[in-house]
Amino acid sequence: MMAVQNSAEKIVVSGFRHFFDTEDGPVQATGEINLKIAAGEFVTLAGPSGCGKTTLLKAMAGFLRPTEGAIHCDGKLVTQPGRERGVVFQELAILPWRTVRRNIGHGLEIAGMPKAERDEKVARLIELIGLGGFEDRYPHELSGGMRQRVAVARTWAADPDVILMDEPFAAVDAMTRLTLQEELARLCAATRKTVFFITHSVDEAVFLGDRVLVMTRRPGTIKATIEVPRRSPGGRDWESFTTDPAMQSIAEQVLRMVRAERGAADADEKREAAVAAPP
Amino acid sequence: MSVEAITPMSPARRALGHLLWRLVPIAPFLIILLIWIVLWEVFRPSKETLPPVRDVVAAIRDLGLSGQLAQNVIASLGRLVLGSLLGIVTGVAAGFVVGLNRNVAEMLNPLAVFFNAISGIVWLPLMITWIGIGSALAVFLIWNTVFFIVFQNTVLGVQLVPEVLEQGVRALGASRSETLRSVTLPGALPYILTGIRSGLGFGWRALIAAELVGAASGLGTMIFDAAEYHRSDIIISGCLIIGTIAIIMDRWLLLPIERRTVQRWGLVSDAEDRH
Amino acid sequence: MSIAIAPRAAARPLPSGLRVAARQLSGVKILIPFIALVGVWWAIREAGQFPERVLVSPARVWDTLVVLASHGVLAEYISTSMSMIGIAAVISLAIGVPIGFLIGSNRYAARGLEAFLRYLQGVSGIAWLPLVIIWFGFTHTTTLVIVIYTLIVPIIFNTMTGVRAVPEHYALALRSLGASRLRLITDVYLPGALPSIVVGLRLGMGYGWRALIAAEMLVRQGGLGDLIFGARTSGQIDRIIGGMILIGTLYIIVNRLLVQPLENLTIARWGVLRK
Repeated sequence: MMAVQNSAEKIVVSGFRHFFDTEDGPVQATGEINLKIAAGEFVTLAGPSGCGKTTLLKAMAGFLRPTEGAIHCDGKLVTQPGRERGVVFQELAILPWRTVRRNIGHGLEIAGMPKAERDEKVARLIELIGLGGFEDRYPHELSGGMRQRVAVARTWAADPDVILMDEPFAAVDAMTRLTLQEELARLCAATRKTVFFITHSVDEAVFLGDRVLVMTRRPGTIKATIEVPRRSPGGRDWESFTTDPAMQSIAEQVLRMVRAERGAADADEKREAAVAAPP
Repeated sequence: MSVEAITPMSPARRALGHLLWRLVPIAPFLIILLIWIVLWEVFRPSKETLPPVRDVVAAIRDLGLSGQLAQNVIASLGRLVLGSLLGIVTGVAAGFVVGLNRNVAEMLNPLAVFFNAISGIVWLPLMITWIGIGSALAVFLIWNTVFFIVFQNTVLGVQLVPEVLEQGVRALGASRSETLRSVTLPGALPYILTGIRSGLGFGWRALIAAELVGAASGLGTMIFDAAEYHRSDIIISGCLIIGTIAIIMDRWLLLPIERRTVQRWGLVSDAEDRH
Repeated sequence: MSIAIAPRAAARPLPSGLRVAARQLSGVKILIPFIALVGVWWAIREAGQFPERVLVSPARVWDTLVVLASHGVLAEYISTSMSMIGIAAVISLAIGVPIGFLIGSNRYAARGLEAFLRYLQGVSGIAWLPLVIIWFGFTHTTTLVIVIYTLIVPIIFNTMTGVRAVPEHYALALRSLGASRLRLITDVYLPGALPSIVVGLRLGMGYGWRALIAAEMLVRQGGLGDLIFGARTSGQIDRIIGGMILIGTLYIIVNRLLVQPLENLTIARWGVLRK
């Protein structure tokens, strides 16, 4: 299966399909997925829970090897995790025994950047994400939202080619989540990274993404791709988003599709349960 | 941490995997056995330094057949049971008294810490002077060891019973003793059982140490006497049997008891690694 | 190891002058139970009119300790025991932590060695003493071997569980930052397992101290165990009791001043990882 690599394409997923091995035999996690992410694009993926989006992200990160198909990053086959593909997790993944400053600088430390340079870069990021004054705190002294800011900053600092984000704000309370989304949008506008962001929140997907992919229910495939045109170059904010009719209609469109998938998934479950249940 | 390699497994391979998983715990024992045999074949050490495996096996067999083994095991276990029962009863009783009364607990805490620090074998010389060598000594040392562990755990258990539960039952009209029986005791039970299990393990070890120094019978004595005659095969046999009894007692007697009562009530789920 | 005191509701703050006095008083407060105990001891002796070879007065014990201290004898016994436990701790950490890491990183190894280590714990170090004496004679090496045997098992266990408790995504996150295998160990697994390792050290020191005293009683090459056991043969109750008090006190001092602060330090920083 040849992957035709366009120099502007950061990630190419071709013929990806994944099965998990369980007690009851192999379980299909995803259907066939093909997608390309161009350099500098912010691609979001929305889909019902269990559809396989996390599996896709893990394969892109190199945490698992696809049962079928291949994933290429900058033309190279992805088989292992690596610093070209940074990952922001849903769960707390910053190290509890390091201060905010040392966590954010961790990637740079690993890359061997000299301390002075590192400190400067970290300081700049801390300003950017609004954690000034908390540099020497430990994660357990911070709120959930702040911790995720640190996690995002850490990945950003390491300057990977691609940033993969697995529902990073799902565990944060609703109010903080809105703020974090705006900050992330600002950060991306300022730093032009290639981002792949999965979520089950439609609003989040449309708010953040340049392009929104909609996934079907398990085993998931990409059902639709929707471009989200941007008016203002400096990032977005929720107020204008909710009052912009064009944005809202896109959000509605995506929501309808995801809802349909969720409904169909529920119907599937009911059918399976009925089959399994004794008469 | 590993990157998963996905190859769907056939049922046969999965069954094999399960079997291997169950057998893995035996591996270190087999490896030690292997090393032992190889060491003996290659170096041919003297019998007193490292007897060959067959000597040890023969020793076990002989001890078993002559009834000596049974005699010593029963003697040791008897002391353990007696000492532990005393330790458990006194430990739980004292634990309740102290646990229910915060002021007493605070007052006695430093003393408890201190006596815990010297529990067990440290009393040996003093006790030998007072009550001499023999079963009484062993029983005392076991009582001492078990008492402090059970006591500590009971106090903790009693104190950690949420006051709310007790108050709830009192509000229903229960008397103090009824509350104790129906709320405090079951509530503290997980800790008490953990304490008993822990205490018995330590008690068994303290017993062997006590017997090593002086007793008329028992596994510790058996080892000690064998040492005088440089019968390393008996020493090793004794050690193996001591370890086996410890495991049997813990895994197949105490752990199931703890599981059945505590886990059934959904109180504590990680009963295993408390010590 | 103390009775845990469940927290009581916060009291109203005292005016500053009284607060300082209260703090000083609470330090003294700890001694009150011991003073009471000594009082009871003295009273029992007076009332029972026990002969010198059965029970001596507190004053006599004190005198004996002072005499021994002034002749440097006490310092020697104490330093022997302390250096034994110290050396054993260092060696146990040096060997045990790497082994714990190796085992912890592999599911099969972890399962395989768990049963074996528990078995070894069941056969207490003391049971092996006669055999080790045959190998190394009545020397410090023998004592050291026994103490290391006892100390190392909790360290290996706790290192193992500590390593396995580090959430997988910490390592994944770091690999996505380009970390090498070595980095993962130094930056993730070692710090992550550290609280658990320190707990293992504390437990090990507790068991090890006891095993040390017991071993010293049999090996008779110095140390506090030798002191109290030797005193038994010559009926010197004052020495026995004095030695016991020292043993308990030293253990508490080492635990409170060294090990527990270390534990608290790691827990405080690690915060989130600690349940």
